[in-house]
Amino acid sequence: MSVLNPFSKLPGLNTANILLVESEEQFQQSLADALVEETAATVNVRLAKSLPLPLENEEDRPRIDLVAFIINLTSELSFQSAEASLKFLDPGYFLGKVCFMVTNARNTAVPTERLDAVRKLAASLHCPLLFAEDQTPDGVTNATERLLSILKVAAGLVPMTTALYLSSLTRCTVPPDIDQPSFD
Amino acid sequence: MERHQNSVTRTPLNSVVVQRRSKSKSYRLSYRSCLGATSRLCFTPALTARRLNTSRRAPKSHNITEKVNPEKLALLVKTEWQLSYVSPLYQFRHTQLKSYSRQLSAFIAAEKQQGLAVEVEGPQKTFRVSFSLVQGMAESDDDAETVLIQIHSKPLFARQDEPQRPVWSGWLTCINGNPDYLRSLPKDFICLPLFGSSGAEALTTLVKSWFQQFFDCCFGPLEISHTCLQWLMALWTNCHTESSIQHLKMIWTLPVVPPLQVTYTVNSEDAWELWSSVRKEKEKENKAGEMAKDEEENSIDIEEVTGFMQGLKSHFYRHFRLDLSAGSLDQVSTALGSAKYKGRIKISNSRYMITTLTLLTECALLKMPI
Repeated sequence: MSVLNPFSKLPGLNTANILLVESEEQFQQSLADALVEETAATVNVRLAKSLPLPLENEEDRPRIDLVAFIINLTSELSFQSAEASLKFLDPGYFLGKVCFMVTNARNTAVPTERLDAVRKLAASLHCPLLFAEDQTPDGVTNATERLLSILKVAAGLVPMTTALYLSSLTRCTVPPDIDQPSFD
Repeated sequence: MERHQNSVTRTPLNSVVVQRRSKSKSYRLSYRSCLGATSRLCFTPALTARRLNTSRRAPKSHNITEKVNPEKLALLVKTEWQLSYVSPLYQFRHTQLKSYSRQLSAFIAAEKQQGLAVEVEGPQKTFRVSFSLVQGMAESDDDAETVLIQIHSKPLFARQDEPQRPVWSGWLTCINGNPDYLRSLPKDFICLPLFGSSGAEALTTLVKSWFQQFFDCCFGPLEISHTCLQWLMALWTNCHTESSIQHLKMIWTLPVVPPLQVTYTVNSEDAWELWSSVRKEKEKENKAGEMAKDEEENSIDIEEVTGFMQGLKSHFYRHFRLDLSAGSLDQVSTALGSAKYKGRIKISNSRYMITTLTLLTECALLKMPI
């Protein structure tokens, strides 16, 4: 079982590498196009449908600073695939190098249980949960900005801040009554 | 309209019983938004919950014809209704239904004069509106009585003596609504959160705007969410022993190009076997627990419902290599009724009407603006 390891390779100079994992493979394209526009550092974006990553590229792959799981809430398969991919990440990633990005949260087709499940997952792993809107260019820009701010910290490009410190501020929390049954 | 006279005593005395709770609790009605770390310090439990019940009682067949006028009941079953949710109505009196009928017909006539909305099908088309009470459907003491609205009109080329036929019907109901919410409403507000309509869209809009003007409420579309459709599936399948569902049909849409629509029909016996095996698993788990026997038999949990759905999906995957989780469930139908995601419901058997309407009332209450 090939597990992705965060510290087994050396970092590059002024470089940040991000891995976008999405089962539908749609939003990651537009996000990637916007992410590489960044000028302050060299941002390398790698795209995957799910983990584990193919063994053939093991040598050429740079050190991945941030793994972002993109979950489309309208499809249950998206959530299940993201959950299944989590097993292939070394525990070292969960110290601030993983984040969840969720799309279509406002869609009425989404049952509230699914969003709650994603929330609980993100909270149990101490990861931030970002909500993104993928249909408009503005939405893509906003999502890119937020991802970049976390990515720069995770790649060590921001002085005085580490990924673990940032994650303790930005991690997802669930309200204590999230399991409260409604009407009895 | 003798029933109308009797209803004076039967009108629920919501306005008398309700006492406004203390000011510190008034924020309880606020919509519970995402709570971050800071608001954990000042946690406000919300009254309007965000999710349906995780477990509910198994539906018993109610012989509802004993309590409800069978003619009125016949109007409600076997028609497909488009659902909306309604916020509480201000000063809606069940005793003034006659005056409401007159006002609504005047309103429709006035709108027609302005040339709006209604199709111009001849100059003399008059509409007669009737509001009536469907007594006996309210389950708990806090529920308001169901109101049925019908609009009659003469067909286009009718003779003088031909009776008017209903061209539009609608109803407002509240079945087993959350008692905390109902009791916390201020005086003068009546909560009838579920609205069903069938007929011309133009008339529906007219009726809704009249309600909005007179009772200061707001209407909104009610979608039957995926979870709610799963519940309906499970509840209807559970009734198979008492009245056969004949088949369980689901329609899924898969987001591929071109869009793929899958109609998945399950034989009723097979569906019943799958459902009872899921329930037996749950029963075995509960044997270690100390639940009372009849409580155990009666309550259905959300895990059983999702297990049932998972079984159906994995069976489909085994045969067609197509994972239905990637798609969305659009419609569920059995012999007892059908429900569409867009908000259309049809109840074909009056025995399980109360259970279905309870579920839908819950869905409507979840969408209340406050």
